[in-house]
Amino acid sequence: MKLLTCPMNGPRNIDEFQSFGPVRARPDPDGTADREWSRHLFRAENRKGIVVEWWRHVPSNYFFLAERDLVSNEIIRTFDASQLRDRA
Amino acid sequence: MAAGLATRIYPFMPGGAADGTKLISGAIVLSDLTDRPRFGLKGGGSAAWLAAQGGTVPAVNRIGDHRGMRVLRLGNEDILLLAESAAETLAQVKTAWQAAAAPKGYSSWREEGWAWIRLSGPCLAEAMSALCALDLRPQKFGADDIAQTRVGHIEAVTFRSPAGFDILFDITASAYFARAVAAIAGHTDQHRGHS
Repeated sequence: MKLLTCPMNGPRNIDEFQSFGPVRARPDPDGTADREWSRHLFRAENRKGIVVEWWRHVPSNYFFLAERDLVSNEIIRTFDASQLRDRA
Repeated sequence: MAAGLATRIYPFMPGGAADGTKLISGAIVLSDLTDRPRFGLKGGGSAAWLAAQGGTVPAVNRIGDHRGMRVLRLGNEDILLLAESAAETLAQVKTAWQAAAAPKGYSSWREEGWAWIRLSGPCLAEAMSALCALDLRPQKFGADDIAQTRVGHIEAVTFRSPAGFDILFDITASAYFARAVAAIAGHTDQHRGHS
């Protein structure tokens, strides 16, 4: 069983979670060309390295962030979304 | 029934969606508390509103007490009041909430959306270990703890009650859950029979 540590609920079977993909900057609606919008909506990066992703613990409907190594699939850490806002 | 008053029909009641589903009793006892009073608040201002009523708001995933009701904190702004034997108090709290000015959260309709089941009986611990992957032994999971996890393969909230474990889950899964517990009880009986 693969475990993921939810910042609110603690370690749980990863089956209890849903992935919502990497955190991405939102394009500026007033200054983004169609080509960039198209790229933003329909194309995904596929690089090696560490990515910060949105995850949801389904039973509690709690959304949080996880840092994951895209090569080893290791989850490095999980944290509440407020920490991302504090850092911004 | 008084004219103009609707009576809710809960799943295990006659005419309900799970009418006829067996609620097991014996080594594991399944009791349906779905018709008992409760009130859920969610969204910005919920916790502050309850605190302003004089209630101590517990930490997330912990249970507190407010005027004889159990207060379950399911998230920063997600609170559930269980009033198994404090219906009048809960009615007063709901009236006060309806009259209050925003921000005060919104009703999460837990009295309609969630089933409330109590499991008890001499084989309860074995049943819970088969239904839920978490370590729910008393030394790991106390009387005021809440687990939001899967029980019987469905999303659920579980916590201890004096009689055993209470489980809250999507009301539409009532019949499924009763059957899942009955199946576990069957396995437990079989296992005990052979040992």
